[in-house]
Amino acid sequence: MYGGTPSGGIGISGSSSGGRAWPSTTSVSSSGKRIQKEMTELSIEAPPDCAAGPKGDNLYHWVATLFGPPGTPYEGGIYFLDITFPSDYPFKPPKVVFKTRIYHCNVEPSGNVSLDILTDNWSPALTISKVLLALRSMFTTPETYKPVVPGIAHLYFEDKAKHDEIATEWTLRFAR
Amino acid sequence: MVNEDSIKSPLNTKNDPIKQSEEPKNGERVDSLFSPNFRSVAAMAGWDEEALLIASLVVEDTPDRLPKQKKRSDLLHFKTPPTNSRRKRRVQKRSPESIPVTVLDLDDEDDTAKQESEKKEAESKSIENLDKKRAEASEEPRCSASSSDKNIESKSIQKAEKKGAAGLEEQGCSVSASSSSAFPCIDRLREELSCAICLEICFEPSTTPCGHSFCKKCLRSAADKCGKKCPKCRQLISNGRSCTVNTVLWNTIQLLFPKEIEARKAAGALNSREARRKSPLKAATAHSNITSSRISRVFALNSPESGPSSQERRNSRSMRRQSVQAAVMPSRNRDNNSRRELPSQDEDAALALRMQREEFMESFRTRSSADEQYRSSLALARANLRAMASRAINIRVRGGRGT
Repeated sequence: MYGGTPSGGIGISGSSSGGRAWPSTTSVSSSGKRIQKEMTELSIEAPPDCAAGPKGDNLYHWVATLFGPPGTPYEGGIYFLDITFPSDYPFKPPKVVFKTRIYHCNVEPSGNVSLDILTDNWSPALTISKVLLALRSMFTTPETYKPVVPGIAHLYFEDKAKHDEIATEWTLRFAR
Repeated sequence: MVNEDSIKSPLNTKNDPIKQSEEPKNGERVDSLFSPNFRSVAAMAGWDEEALLIASLVVEDTPDRLPKQKKRSDLLHFKTPPTNSRRKRRVQKRSPESIPVTVLDLDDEDDTAKQESEKKEAESKSIENLDKKRAEASEEPRCSASSSDKNIESKSIQKAEKKGAAGLEEQGCSVSASSSSAFPCIDRLREELSCAICLEICFEPSTTPCGHSFCKKCLRSAADKCGKKCPKCRQLISNGRSCTVNTVLWNTIQLLFPKEIEARKAAGALNSREARRKSPLKAATAHSNITSSRISRVFALNSPESGPSSQERRNSRSMRRQSVQAAVMPSRNRDNNSRRELPSQDEDAALALRMQREEFMESFRTRSSADEQYRSSLALARANLRAMASRAINIRVRGGRGT
């Protein structure tokens, strides 16, 4: 359904964040440089079952893919994510949005991820590869204490088998 | 320190009370710096005296002490006082532990020759250092300096090989592959010494109370924008405003990755528009100041005495010093020349930036028309433009190196 996203055309055409594309000051270099560094590092050594890179020729819009880790109800699923970097990137967290639907108590129906390191606990020392790792561990162990979808978390506690069943069904339906 | 000095050279005080406090101190710093015990241990560990000396020099090359260094290099123009303690010092120098370096038999040579050769070594070494620093692999003034005596030459070559490790690591870091370098852990070092915020080699590293180091600027803006917590371990940073540079770490980084630091300095200069012209030059001159003062101190350390025949020796020494400076000068001159002839890389970068911005503005303007075809053709044109620009830059850079 969202399979077409990785080839989403020229980055500038993303109208929602046009103002952010090339911040006009020369401080472009600090965030741009850092993102470029992360890009090369990721191309050399990506975390397992993860991939990420710029969508088009805009450095500040990335697309990432995650494979559902084996042993979880998300096994076999391929999840696409949109990553948007703010212009003062290392100091403000990137915005991560699931483009593939997923049954998970930490992911809003709209795709927004509620991960503490992406909001309050962000640190400039974190990188996209670390974020991807965190997302991966979110697959295996959902953060059920501060769920963004309480119903799913509730089901996870009450009836894990049912939860897993639904999640597997969603994986089959949306993530393949 | 002062006590030691006065104990070691009581004669000095009698002979020349004024100069004593300055010049002989320089000369004897070696002896007072390293206790005989330490030196014997160092000899057992296989460190030669030169290495220790250079290490001590490195430690002292903090930016804050620049004025002091200048003063010291000025001391060179003083005439060294005729002291009686020369022999004493020489005896100390020749103690078996202190010169374990060379196995070549120079025993039949007299003292002065030995001193000379040591001086020459120091010279050739410092020249080499300069060379490596400036990556001017093409010129080898070392040969001219040491071609006079075969022994000396072979000795210096041996030394050069020893020093090679340091030199190679400097070279190796410029090439990111660095597989050829004699310093296999350079990649790990690069990783270890890079700032977690900008992911580059730490520039003026500042260390938090919890022990993590970042670029000073990065740490400061992290404290401003993300709260006063360590980016690595989230511990509170008491006063993120008054970051101080960890000088030991900074010096180490400057020694290990001179190229990156230079590039970073140049980039910083590009960012600040007004200072764009001045600061690379300033950096260069400051750099040469440091190196020249280092050279002069090596000289001072190696020639503490002034014998009866010292006058002409000093002359020849100053001649050689001039030649060293001359060896330094051409590279700088060449830089200036190339800057004059071709537009510098800074300008090129600025040009590229401007082009990019214009591009963006153009695409922004045309977006309203929402003409898909036109946009794709624009993208093509843009790609062409970019390729041309990068090619032009490459050619220029290559041309700049060639001349």
